[in-house]
Amino acid sequence: MTSQSNRLRDGGLIDRAKTVRFSFDGETLTGYQGDTLASALLANGKKLVGRSFKYHRPRGILTAGSEEPNALVELRTGARREPNTRATTIELYDGLEAASQNRWPSLKFDVMAVNQLFAPIFGAGFYYKTFMWPASFWEKVYEPAIRRAAGLGRAASAPDPDHYDKAHAFCDVLVIGSGPAGLATALEAARAGARVILAEEDFRLGGRLLAERYEIDGKPALDWVRAAEEELASLDCRILRRTTVFGVYDGGTYAAIERVNDHVKLPPAHEPRQRLWKIVARQAVVAAGAIERPIVFGDNDRPGIMLAGAVRTYVNRYGVTPGRRAVVFTDNDDAFQTAVDLADHGVEVVAMVDARAMPSVKAKEIAAKAKAPYFANSVVQRVRGRQAVKSVDIAAPNGEVHRIDCDLLAMSGGWNPTLHLTTHLNGKPVWNADLSALVPGALPPGMSVAGASAGQFGLAACLASGRLAGTEAAKACGFKPKRHKAPKAADESTEASPVWQVETSRGKAFVDFQNDVTISDIKLAAREGFRVPEHLKRYTTLGMATDQGKTGNLNGAAVLANVTGRYVGAVGTTTFRPPFTPVAISALAGHHRGPDFRPARLAPSHKWAEEQGAVFVETGPWLRALYYPRAGESPQDSVNREVANVRTQVGVCDVSTLGKIEVQGTDAGVFLDRVYANTFSTLPVGKARYGLMLREDGFVMDDGTTARLAEDRYFMTTTTANAVKVMQHLEFCQQVLWPELDVQLVSVTEQWAQYAVAGPRARDVLQRLVDPGHDISNEAFPYLACGEINVCGGVPARLYRLSFSGELAYEIGVPARYGDALIRAIMMEGAAFGIQPYGTEALGVLRIEKGHPAGGELNGQTTAHDLGFGKLLSAKKDFIGRFMAARPVLADANREKFVGLRPLDREARIRAGAHLVPKDAEATAKNDQGYVTSIAYSPSLGHWLALGMLARGPERHGEVVRAVDPLRGEEVLAEVVPPCFVDPEGERLRV
Amino acid sequence: MSRPLASVSGLAGLTVPGSYGAKVGELGVTIAERTGLGIATVAACKGKSEALKAAARKAYGVELPERSIVASGRDILFIGTGPGQWLAVSEKYANEELARELAGRLQGLASVADQSGGRTVIRISGPRARDVLAKGLPIDLDPRVFPSNGAATSTISLMGVQLWQADDTPAYELAIFRSLSGSFWRWLAASAAEFGYEVKPG
Amino acid sequence: MRIKCPYCGERALEEFTYRGDATVKRPRSLESDAAEAWTDYVYFRHNPAGLHREHWYHGAGCHAWLTVTRDTRTHEIVAVEFADKREGT
Ligand SMILES: [Zn+2]
Repeated sequence: MTSQSNRLRDGGLIDRAKTVRFSFDGETLTGYQGDTLASALLANGKKLVGRSFKYHRPRGILTAGSEEPNALVELRTGARREPNTRATTIELYDGLEAASQNRWPSLKFDVMAVNQLFAPIFGAGFYYKTFMWPASFWEKVYEPAIRRAAGLGRAASAPDPDHYDKAHAFCDVLVIGSGPAGLATALEAARAGARVILAEEDFRLGGRLLAERYEIDGKPALDWVRAAEEELASLDCRILRRTTVFGVYDGGTYAAIERVNDHVKLPPAHEPRQRLWKIVARQAVVAAGAIERPIVFGDNDRPGIMLAGAVRTYVNRYGVTPGRRAVVFTDNDDAFQTAVDLADHGVEVVAMVDARAMPSVKAKEIAAKAKAPYFANSVVQRVRGRQAVKSVDIAAPNGEVHRIDCDLLAMSGGWNPTLHLTTHLNGKPVWNADLSALVPGALPPGMSVAGASAGQFGLAACLASGRLAGTEAAKACGFKPKRHKAPKAADESTEASPVWQVETSRGKAFVDFQNDVTISDIKLAAREGFRVPEHLKRYTTLGMATDQGKTGNLNGAAVLANVTGRYVGAVGTTTFRPPFTPVAISALAGHHRGPDFRPARLAPSHKWAEEQGAVFVETGPWLRALYYPRAGESPQDSVNREVANVRTQVGVCDVSTLGKIEVQGTDAGVFLDRVYANTFSTLPVGKARYGLMLREDGFVMDDGTTARLAEDRYFMTTTTANAVKVMQHLEFCQQVLWPELDVQLVSVTEQWAQYAVAGPRARDVLQRLVDPGHDISNEAFPYLACGEINVCGGVPARLYRLSFSGELAYEIGVPARYGDALIRAIMMEGAAFGIQPYGTEALGVLRIEKGHPAGGELNGQTTAHDLGFGKLLSAKKDFIGRFMAARPVLADANREKFVGLRPLDREARIRAGAHLVPKDAEATAKNDQGYVTSIAYSPSLGHWLALGMLARGPERHGEVVRAVDPLRGEEVLAEVVPPCFVDPEGERLRV
Repeated sequence: MSRPLASVSGLAGLTVPGSYGAKVGELGVTIAERTGLGIATVAACKGKSEALKAAARKAYGVELPERSIVASGRDILFIGTGPGQWLAVSEKYANEELARELAGRLQGLASVADQSGGRTVIRISGPRARDVLAKGLPIDLDPRVFPSNGAATSTISLMGVQLWQADDTPAYELAIFRSLSGSFWRWLAASAAEFGYEVKPG
Repeated sequence: MRIKCPYCGERALEEFTYRGDATVKRPRSLESDAAEAWTDYVYFRHNPAGLHREHWYHGAGCHAWLTVTRDTRTHEIVAVEFADKREGT
């Protein structure tokens, strides 16, 4: 076990009494409570933590926050392994296991680093240029090779064992970020009485105050943070730590991810690992701080080169020094504070390199204080050391080159406001020349920005802008804020004149570290005409990595500006999109995985069917019994048996899933006349009728049966698939088209458990269930009769004499709470008559044998005429679709119409979806005359049969056509026949 | 043998009384199914709203709400579910009886449909009731926004729900579609586990 | 996007179903000279950049059809009313 060699003697917001053990690439190390993985690795002198995406270059830790492009690791192991997590945001916990990624066989010796030697071919547009041809090479050669060579971490291959939660939250003011601006905002808003949510991606509040040695009100700034935290806890403020607001959506909706238990080895029992928040906020204040820019120079990606602000974070917050001999290279005064912070902790600062042409007075003062040599108007022109910085060459304006040994290079090219969330709804940032940065432009309604996000970089400015934002947000929500004493602080110097890039002859100068995009890539792209950032991005992949170019995008724009002779502001950057940082798929799925992928609707007989060993199938949201296998049967055997049993004895099928709608009111009949193509106002009470519903464009929408239970009360059924759509359509007709009608609609799909009892013995079974006094003989209760009865000793029921199978059949409905008992009763009473349950597969076969159109035929492209229902179209009334259905084009005799198809070879199987072409014609699109909509093996006939749509079909009965299935390379000769194969006269259902 | 038919809850086999989930701190929520309730939808006939309201006032001493709240009448709750539409819930008029009762009294003024078999009603109460519901319900139940007689028709985790506040403990009652009872229960159990929950007999 | 349903209050987009142009009127005539009116009603829609009156259905809530006035450029919703103004009477 190595000691924490780079841990400073004192300081830092860590608990030195709590040692935490963790492992990196199998080596056991220690850190302290309060560390991140990055700070703990640095404390242990680990500088090399990963390999880059394309060139496999050794990489270290660049930042101390969520913008990190380099230090991506695989966190945890086994099913919980999570790739590409940023070491800079992983809170250290006892037992943490992490591994470097994208290297083989080891981090220090990576075979794929040879990619660097091939750098010329990996340049901009590499994918487009290299892999153009032949196409088959893509799948077989290039892609596998690229996947092996370039890439990130490995996802776990086992299902994620943890629970992920979702939650909704509502507030007046959402404050994003808890730095000085965010805390000031939250305080003012909450003090005014607003309901506040404060979201902070870190595990500790304070933002930049945690990393600097600022004072507020003459005391350490962290005292103020602590007081603010306490005060907020006493007000109506929900503080969400470890929570990243990652997306902004219309209507003040924000998405956030809370890492509830990523900071412990295992989530405690019953607790989620992460929680996805959907927050609706009347006002939101983005106080997300700023992200420091690297300087672009040769080999600027070597481990040991770090952003200056990150160095201060490690020193001040974590009590860790990333090196022992430091060089600071910057173009702004702010970064030289790093030299002071290092020197105060006894770290030797061996050079302060100022890239600005004009020497800075402030910088000179600092150099004196830190006892560091100051190189004005100079640049770092060469970095030595492959796996860690060993020395740098500093080029002075007089041409002298100073070679200086060092193990840490702190760089800073200034700061960019963290404005990503302001652009998610298409906001365009604007260039601020004073700050040399993009600042938020037009904001979505209800959003404001404060602090560094708004370009207010000084501490006093941050506090003031936060107070203002909080006050204004509270006012916008109708509160009347009182004045409170302002915290006092100084504004540190934020003078900046960025140099962006240093032209050096040596080494790759990286712009986008995560995607390995260099200056030369951008120059090449510009030469080839990609001069707009959106084009540049796609050609070079600049900003397309998981970090979305947080550290690199503006530098890329600056390089492009330089090459194309424009200023940075004129070039601009690409649009940032959600998520701000990567979000795990598990978190987006939440509860909806495995059997709960989506809610399942279970039919009333479900439990009973499970007991029978039924095989279930998803039909829309429902789970329905597909068939009920018996020992030794193939699925086809089961279906054949179930069909045969209905044709010869009696079967029972749960049809509760059909949409059921009560249509009530004095105008119910008139209403139905208008929504159905055929007439219902003339239907006698106690009768049911098949109904055909058209869309307004004249095509068939849905069908079903509707029964008249009373003068002003109808009971409509729809297909299972269209139940919701039909209800919506009917309510449109009711509320928008004909609001003057007295008609009330209510869905009763859930209320009624409904079973079809079908087969020659159906009446015998029903006789034993209905209560005495109800006559269900063929005379008293003929085909299409319906009535309200009682069954099984007083249970209210509805009986309908309907048949989908073509046999003597009934549908019986009882309140769903009796559904389970009724199926058991039907089975018990039916046993004597050979009853068997049948599933949706047999249901389908029965209806195909009878030639009833269903889903395959009601496909939105067929008309009443096409389906042979032309005679149903009433000429006596207006109805939805009437006018358009009468269009000549829809009545054209050449249209494809409904037919049956019987294979000439009785062993052959016609395939669903097969195209119909004339017997002797070529199977070309030109000769395509229709298609097969449904197929089934008919146990009643002993061979396969099919239904389909064929041009002039009804005129062609007896003709032989070819059913061609180009997908399977099969074709079958089939005779065109009427669609009904069994009992075409319909005698059986009337007995 | 086959008679009489047993009434089976949509939650049969799922709700077993006992304590579940986290055991630290105070109990988060108590969950109980409400069985045997009469449930019916009531929809005003065209042009009969005022007469219907008068009839409801007379029969049940209740002002039928014109917005999304719950109003208590004699032995019946009326929950506003839409313009001119209510969900009626009753203990006294159990199961199918409520629809018969209402259809009789409101004849010609409203269309009534029995829903007693088609809904599962669950009562969720306790200090964390709002936190549990927030995991699925996209509605702000904060007392400053949602009145103590508030009601809402919405979805929970992709499942339709009619919800009304029963008291300020707080307690909420939720009517869900019977066919979704199993899926809903799995969501509820998963969501309440973090806070600890007790299942009370229905 | 959030829509303030006049019955249910403000709700998220997922609760609603979009239909489209609320200004078209279903023709009453079934005579053959009404073909153009029917074609307009069934097929032709304006696609304004700006304020648009459109029908939305609150299927997950009160089942009311709503007429929503929305700015198609910004998704700003200017007005929401019941499509059936006689609703509840
Ligand atoms: Zn609504």
